[in-house]
Amino acid sequence: MKYLNWIFIYIILLFNANSKEINIITTYQYMANIVENIGGDRVKVTALANSKWNPHTIVPKPSFIAKMRTADLLIINGAQLEIGWLPQLIRQANNPKIQFESVGFLDLSKFVSLIEIPKEVSRALGDVHPEGNPHYYLDYMNIFPIAEAIKNKLIELYPENQEYFLDNFNRFKNKLNEKIKIWETNLIKLKGTKVIEYHKIFDYFIKRCEMSLAGTLEPLPGIPPSSRHIKEVEKLINQENIKFILQDVYNPDDAAKYLSKKYNIKLLILPHDVGATNDAYDIFSLFDSIIDRLTND
Amino acid sequence: MKNYIFLKSFPFILLFINLAFAQNNPFSQSKFVPDISLIIDASYFHHNLKNHEYEELIIPGISHKHFNEDESHNHATVQKGFNFNYGELYISSIVDPFFDLTGVFHLSRSGFEIEEGYFITRKLPLGFQLKGGKFYSGFGKINEQHQHIWDFVDQPLVYKSFFGPEGLNEVGLQLNWIAPTNFFLNFGFEILEGENESSFGKTGFNTETITVEPIELPNLYIGYLKSSLDIDNFTGLLQLSGASGKSRLNHGIESTIDADAISANTKIFGISLTGKYLVDPIRSLTLQTEYLYRITQGNKYTRDSTGIQLYDLKKYQSGIYAQIIYKFAQRWRFGIRYEFLNNNSIKLDGIEKEQPSFLPRYSTMIDFNPTEFSRIRLQYSYDRSRYSFEEDIFAVKDIHQIMLQINLSIGAHGAHPF
Repeated sequence: MKYLNWIFIYIILLFNANSKEINIITTYQYMANIVENIGGDRVKVTALANSKWNPHTIVPKPSFIAKMRTADLLIINGAQLEIGWLPQLIRQANNPKIQFESVGFLDLSKFVSLIEIPKEVSRALGDVHPEGNPHYYLDYMNIFPIAEAIKNKLIELYPENQEYFLDNFNRFKNKLNEKIKIWETNLIKLKGTKVIEYHKIFDYFIKRCEMSLAGTLEPLPGIPPSSRHIKEVEKLINQENIKFILQDVYNPDDAAKYLSKKYNIKLLILPHDVGATNDAYDIFSLFDSIIDRLTND
Repeated sequence: MKNYIFLKSFPFILLFINLAFAQNNPFSQSKFVPDISLIIDASYFHHNLKNHEYEELIIPGISHKHFNEDESHNHATVQKGFNFNYGELYISSIVDPFFDLTGVFHLSRSGFEIEEGYFITRKLPLGFQLKGGKFYSGFGKINEQHQHIWDFVDQPLVYKSFFGPEGLNEVGLQLNWIAPTNFFLNFGFEILEGENESSFGKTGFNTETITVEPIELPNLYIGYLKSSLDIDNFTGLLQLSGASGKSRLNHGIESTIDADAISANTKIFGISLTGKYLVDPIRSLTLQTEYLYRITQGNKYTRDSTGIQLYDLKKYQSGIYAQIIYKFAQRWRFGIRYEFLNNNSIKLDGIEKEQPSFLPRYSTMIDFNPTEFSRIRLQYSYDRSRYSFEEDIFAVKDIHQIMLQINLSIGAHGAHPF
């Protein structure tokens, strides 16, 4: 009988675990951090994807369905970054609040202007994203419209907390502005620097600090480097003055290591998301750690 | 000649229609085109027997001859040499705020059939979802998976034995509920017609001495429970399933000597376990195993020269498969599968039928996936589940099979579940 009581209490707790809180799910970690900054302690936010993994091919764990089932708001990166894993989860989560046309759904890509929109869309060109390059949040200037969209959505859903969210948003904006001042003084010396990257993931950042991208180690988006393509890259290295090879944390780095050693080009492993490396623990330190690596000679 | 000119100008006509209507037509609906994809699967198949020898083999207690043949359907690779296995046309879209609709059309060289055609609800509250139409039952793990995402060329022996080459694909309704818990907990209940001839059936029969009425209501009830647990980079998924339905099957007892018919109740229980360990961002190890147990109890009727004979029928049969898939590079996977049917017990009037009861099969595969849209797979299987049956004597055949498969998909195809 004693045990029965405990089981009963446990079941009650289980079913009420999330019922009172504002429960927000984001697909990636960087968005969860921005939500934390604006929502403060009035929201509970969980990111689905582990940022040590390839953001294009996240394994759709059943636990994601459980999280999405009780969500009040689902925030996605959009621009088809989640196309390979999220749509089926939304179908399976049985939650009318987070269908794409519902108020509890927010696609952040709608608030920024995307670059590299392909003129031609064909899978002969690899894993192209028809709407443009989806890694837009790696331009720190895009964090403003992202944060604003999140703030507006939170106010739309929970107008009773309007002042609280607005205060937090303004504080966040001020901190970002201060950070940008520091970042930009450090970034001046990178202007015109030529780099190679593995996948076209840091393009927005490269564009923002006026570096130039000479080539990628992937012959086509999503296709791993072939020896023939590496030979092409070597030709490029011989012609141009490449300063860095930028590598993400989830793709194999053997090609980058090989080229770095052979041509004595600095190989930098950069975090692409909050949590991808230990020093990128929030949205500010994400850019801190990228810029540190690029400017610490 | 006229036709020829028409054919030659046809692309231009299409282009003209396209330009004239799609862009300028104020009533154009081209923005409403659903997701459409086409999957093609072809293979080269070889084994150490003659084709006709292979086709004569049976799985004792499970299949009659021609188990491998699929008539119009051709789900399985059967003939030595090149095989065009199937094409699959997939069309899916949101209907309106309340429904999603999916149609999956199975194309073989001789036919075009509706493999699935179902709606799911989008707006039911409290974690419920209703699915209706013709669809793969949520029973077990592999049953719901479409053929092109199987980890081996062919389905496990126990699934093919209990549900046939098409799997448990039925017309009916499914209600599923996700519990609002911190971990994944999913209950499903299905009411289906129950016409899967490998285990269930509705047709009655009528002979000079015995009449069995056909069933005129939905005949098959299925329930399942799925739950999942994450520990670090390991994800486990457990599923328990149960199916219960009537088996009224008639193989021509009205007139044919040696023909039989069954009127019985069949229950099938299943337990499925999947564990996936993400070693690093590239490599992963997936273990999947399912055990199915089938009980059939009722009457069996046979016709001999004196008329209809009635027997009390009891069948207890089970099977298991266990497979390990190791993704060892970005585009390469290696897998092994061990499976067997066992406990192959059939009793007529309490007398056990003498037949082999342990029927194993061993498979291994390696596949290369240039992108997520293409796959080339080499599979070897050693099959000791098939027997020749002559003059009441079962003789096992050692079968060595080699399959080289290519699977390609184009268009917009939805993401696949865990």
